[in-house]
Amino acid sequence: MKPAPFKYVRAETVDHALDMLAEYGSDARVIAGGQSLVPMMSLRLVRPAILVDIARTPGLSGIVGEDAVIRIGATACQSAVLASDEVRDAAPVVCEALRHVGHPAIRNRGTIGGSIAHADPAAELPAVALALDAQVVARRSSGDRVLAAHDFFRGYFETALEEGELLTELRFPACGPHERTAFLEVARRHGDYALVGVVVRVWTSSSLVEGARIVVFGVAPEPTRVEGAEDSLVGAALDEASIRAAAGVAAADLAPRGDVHASGEYRKSVAEVLVRRALQACRGPAATP
Amino acid sequence: VVGQAGRYVGASVLRVEDPRFLMGRGVYVDDISIPGILHAAFVRSPFAHARIVSVDVRAAAAAPGVVAVFSGADLAPHIAPVVTPPNRPETAVTQHQPLPPDRVRFAGEAVAVVVAMSRYVAEDAVELVDVEWEPLPVAMDGVAAMAEGAPAIDPELDSNNVAHIIWEAGDPDAIFDRADHVFSTRFFVHRYAAMPLETRGVVASIDPSSGDLMVWISSQFAHVVRTALAASLGMPERAIRVVSPAVGGGFGVKVAVYPEDIVIPAVARLLGRPVKWIEDRCEHIAASSHSKEITCEMDVAVSDHGDLLAFRAHYVGSGGGYNLFPFGVLADPFAAAGMIFNQYRTEHARCVVDGPLTNQCPIGAYRGVGWTSGHTIREVLIDEVARGLGLDPVELRLSNTIPEEPYRTPFGQQYDGGSYVRSLELARELVDYGNFRTKQANLRERGRYAGVGFSPYVEPSGWGKQIADANGFTETNYFDTARVTLEPDGSAIVTTGLHSQGQGHETTFAQVVAERLGLRLEDVRVEQGDTATSVFGMGTFASRGAVIGSGTLGLAALDVREKLIRLAADALEAAPEDIELRDGVAFVVGSPSTARTIAELATSVYYGGTGAPAGVDDVVLTSTRSYDPGESYSNGTVAAIVEVDVETGIVELQRVVAVEDCGTMLNPMIVEGQVAGAIAQGIGGALYEEIQYDEHGQLLTPTLMEYLYPSAMEIPGIEIAHIETPSPVTNGGVKGLGEGGSIAAPAAVLNAVADALAPFGVRVVRTPLDPEEILRLLRDTSSDGGRR
Repeated sequence: MKPAPFKYVRAETVDHALDMLAEYGSDARVIAGGQSLVPMMSLRLVRPAILVDIARTPGLSGIVGEDAVIRIGATACQSAVLASDEVRDAAPVVCEALRHVGHPAIRNRGTIGGSIAHADPAAELPAVALALDAQVVARRSSGDRVLAAHDFFRGYFETALEEGELLTELRFPACGPHERTAFLEVARRHGDYALVGVVVRVWTSSSLVEGARIVVFGVAPEPTRVEGAEDSLVGAALDEASIRAAAGVAAADLAPRGDVHASGEYRKSVAEVLVRRALQACRGPAATP
Repeated sequence: VVGQAGRYVGASVLRVEDPRFLMGRGVYVDDISIPGILHAAFVRSPFAHARIVSVDVRAAAAAPGVVAVFSGADLAPHIAPVVTPPNRPETAVTQHQPLPPDRVRFAGEAVAVVVAMSRYVAEDAVELVDVEWEPLPVAMDGVAAMAEGAPAIDPELDSNNVAHIIWEAGDPDAIFDRADHVFSTRFFVHRYAAMPLETRGVVASIDPSSGDLMVWISSQFAHVVRTALAASLGMPERAIRVVSPAVGGGFGVKVAVYPEDIVIPAVARLLGRPVKWIEDRCEHIAASSHSKEITCEMDVAVSDHGDLLAFRAHYVGSGGGYNLFPFGVLADPFAAAGMIFNQYRTEHARCVVDGPLTNQCPIGAYRGVGWTSGHTIREVLIDEVARGLGLDPVELRLSNTIPEEPYRTPFGQQYDGGSYVRSLELARELVDYGNFRTKQANLRERGRYAGVGFSPYVEPSGWGKQIADANGFTETNYFDTARVTLEPDGSAIVTTGLHSQGQGHETTFAQVVAERLGLRLEDVRVEQGDTATSVFGMGTFASRGAVIGSGTLGLAALDVREKLIRLAADALEAAPEDIELRDGVAFVVGSPSTARTIAELATSVYYGGTGAPAGVDDVVLTSTRSYDPGESYSNGTVAAIVEVDVETGIVELQRVVAVEDCGTMLNPMIVEGQVAGAIAQGIGGALYEEIQYDEHGQLLTPTLMEYLYPSAMEIPGIEIAHIETPSPVTNGGVKGLGEGGSIAAPAAVLNAVADALAPFGVRVVRTPLDPEEILRLLRDTSSDGGRR
């Protein structure tokens, strides 16, 4: 269980990283925390010619709140984000989700940008990014490109990042006063990737649903917005009937595949349960973490 | 025999090995470094069953940094086949080449070895070895392997079945014919495996001055490894030194001799250079050994009053590609059959056992062996009897439980007495059973499903010749020794053929010896795991350590004690019966100032002087003794409380209560560690851990991303209570207890789940109870409750 031969360079600056990525193209992989990449290399499932290490590259790990947006640098480690008061106040569901990402030792190494760029279909953070309409900042030599989360995830471990681009930042909009969010997942063990997970965000006006995001993960090659279910709630009161109807619509739109941990049928059935429970959780008072 | 409890024996003294391990100073196999050492990696089969047409190693051998590449055909002239001895008259004797030259029998089996300057280079070169395969049909479970037309897995055998055994007591058919009720199940216990933190590993080197073979190996039984190596390599045992340094967990998986254990020393000899191989986790999961898999049909005949009158059972194991040395395929199905009576006074049974080979990784010993599977199936069925007859599961068990005095089972096992009734009653009290039933009913009204499960067990312990015979393993032998030597300064060095993989021998064995010699604990040093310095023993497994350790060491220490007392009596001019030994001092009872330190007495023997003994013969302050214990059986009860989310299938384990009775405890803290660890592994088996293959024999669980063992997050605090029923037949009243938790915990969890889901008419018929299986059970409920 040793990786195939590879070269390694520590990027001294973001420009240095971009130079390396430009030079090696698709043979290069960016590494930060390495919590997913290193095991995959050890299993020889991926064989990069060179690792460009941005873990200590200056300017990539900040957490800044401004103008109803929280900006998190790509190499901010998950435990730092989890401990951030700013994140917890502005986007509490990010912290809820992070508690399910591995264990403290993993979160001390794993980074926010790494989770997003790795794009594991059963990972928590891509689903949260999608549900919050987050933005992903990709830098290339010609400047920054800002991508909406819903344009970013493209399939199993596939993203819209182009060759030579470096993910530098995540931007999460702050939770509005009439917004409720909830995160639920079923995993075999605490800290495992989800068998099924759900992130919901509902915003209301005069007790009626004005809009909703319902994202299910672990059920498709990328985290999936179930838009039929979202639409079914708009204009309705968030009551038991509308919730159950939305959960049914959500599950009907999913065709998950099975794996060694659970069948597709299981995932579909539990997705309905979790959507229902997450929406029910949004009926309560605003979360005050 | 010195009294059962004393200054050290029975005290929770802190483990003397802990500072070393906690500070990272333990020396494991991978810490062995020798100048010029080479590193090995193995080429492994991608097929579950295939003929090896050819192995082309040229490209690999030519790669930079590669020293040598050997195929099975290359090594066959240098390695005699491994012969696995029979453990029953019915068992076929099997033999195989560690590195097969012609066929593979399971996916992951090693077929060639690359030796290189580093493990990285070796693994690169493994990819360059070109093997031409001719895939063969597979048999992926024991039932399939025994079917007509199944592929022959070992061409030297007449059939795939290594043993067909019938064990019968009483007249079960007559009882079944006239029984009021018969309850039946067809149950599948899945395959899971020991997953020690430290994987296996071997380092081998030829000592340049003596020419001796040095082998460091992560093993539970260094002396047996030496015997196996001598046979395979054609060397005398005197020229082989096997050292098992610190072992980071064994649990049974390291009480076997594997292909790599022989191949690495063979290759080191051929090359004349030291070679290291450390098993990686993928290799460990694919190609060490697995355990527990049994398909079983079991019937129980029951009276209207709930008397368990007779059992009938057919256990089909799933042995894997090889009859692993030394315990073979019977470790699961035959052990399961032997303990069918557990603590019940049932008088009739017929057990049929089959031990077929399959195209899976071989089965080996894993904590509780097949006792776990057999116990699980019976205890789940007994809960079904209770539900079927409308009886309370605890009362049903109590009314069928044997008396607490020594008892002979219908199969002839001689239990040495225990707390069979009290442990179950105490567990019931500790879970607050009456209140739980009230709470359970209230929760059900609110659509929540909680349940409680009980699992009282009897655990064969201190595995030696007598208890092996009594449990049907009649062709096996066990021989264990220990030596106690008093050094010139009055400190003691003791050596044992038992090796610790975490059990804390350096503490408990020192407790035993310090107690008997009147030394301070820190005066005793325990040496183990090195054939050059430790006396012979069969190693540590099957709950042997406490019983055989305290037996062998206790006898040897008493010999030395007797000599010390004679020396002291001579020096103090007192009668031997008036001498007492305590805290390193020998003194006359009632006259503590009439004393010599044990150091003074020992010094006088070695170096003479004024205190030298006169007129005392044979004062060599050492003794080596062997010991085969009488049959000892510990007992206890594990109870679990769960709540099941019937929409997601998630089982929340809320409480686990364990009442254990291992006779006289040497160290209660260590006992509790054993109980908790074994229960955690049992919970893993019940809910999480599963080795899975697809129908072609591909391993679906090759890493710890797929093979899920429980973490600290999944195991609740385990509440432990003790009852002590000293054994009348072992030295010091000690019984072993390493396995009870992993034998009993799965049934406790399964019964709790079945109890929680009783309103749905759910029957548990297979393990593990993962969320998918729970939802399947809720979907496919049948209402017959197992009654026929």
